[in-house]
Amino acid sequence: MAKARKYELVYVLAPEVSEDGVAELHQQIEAIVARFGGQIEKTDNWGRRRLAYEIGRHKEATYVLETIDGSGELMKEIERRLKVNEQVLRQLVVRVDEDLKAVERARARRQVDVEHRLSRRGASEAEAGEPAAASGAGGEVEGER
Amino acid sequence: MSEERRSSQGRSQGRGAGRTGADRGGARRGLFRRRKLCKFCVEKIDYIDYKDVRMLTPFVPDRGKILPRRISGVCAAHQRQLQTAIKRARQIALVPYVTD
Repeated sequence: MAKARKYELVYVLAPEVSEDGVAELHQQIEAIVARFGGQIEKTDNWGRRRLAYEIGRHKEATYVLETIDGSGELMKEIERRLKVNEQVLRQLVVRVDEDLKAVERARARRQVDVEHRLSRRGASEAEAGEPAAASGAGGEVEGER
Repeated sequence: MSEERRSSQGRSQGRGAGRTGADRGGARRGLFRRRKLCKFCVEKIDYIDYKDVRMLTPFVPDRGKILPRRISGVCAAHQRQLQTAIKRARQIALVPYVTD
């Protein structure tokens, strides 16, 4: 019933949390994801970064990004768990599947546009590739004005 | 009679509006200004990622505010995307809310 959606989860951990602590939290999330029948597509540990502003007394923190396929209830549960956890300074959940689709569409449209222009000119793709791209950029600007 | 009055009124209003528009255009044209280009359109960026700090920082000056598009020249569609990206990045402390 529930259609699979794609989410990005970023959480920011206090700097004193050890590598083991990060791994443990990741396992906890994995367990929740498994229980709700979701799937972790990718995990990316950015390591320590400077914070743009102080959170509490912290000036830097560990960032972890996870891309998760699953339902809204799953993300709600994960977010609730992270909010309870004192080691987690910040967390952010963003739904990305629709944005990715929009990107795909924009790319496809541009591809069609370029091909259309090429065929109209009847030029070989090797010599028309560059000018077509340049006129494309110009057209967008004119449209915007 | 009333019909006539209404139509003349409408006409004068139309003319007045037209004139002010032309005046403003003339004053604008007198100033030399280089046409700004939308950076994201030129580089064909479809999705402005909130995680990409290096992409966002040029649009968040020292003060921490979002650069208005009248200055940056970003097109409306991309400014909207940029705005949400910056606001998301702020939530996870990648970009400041305020600095001074």
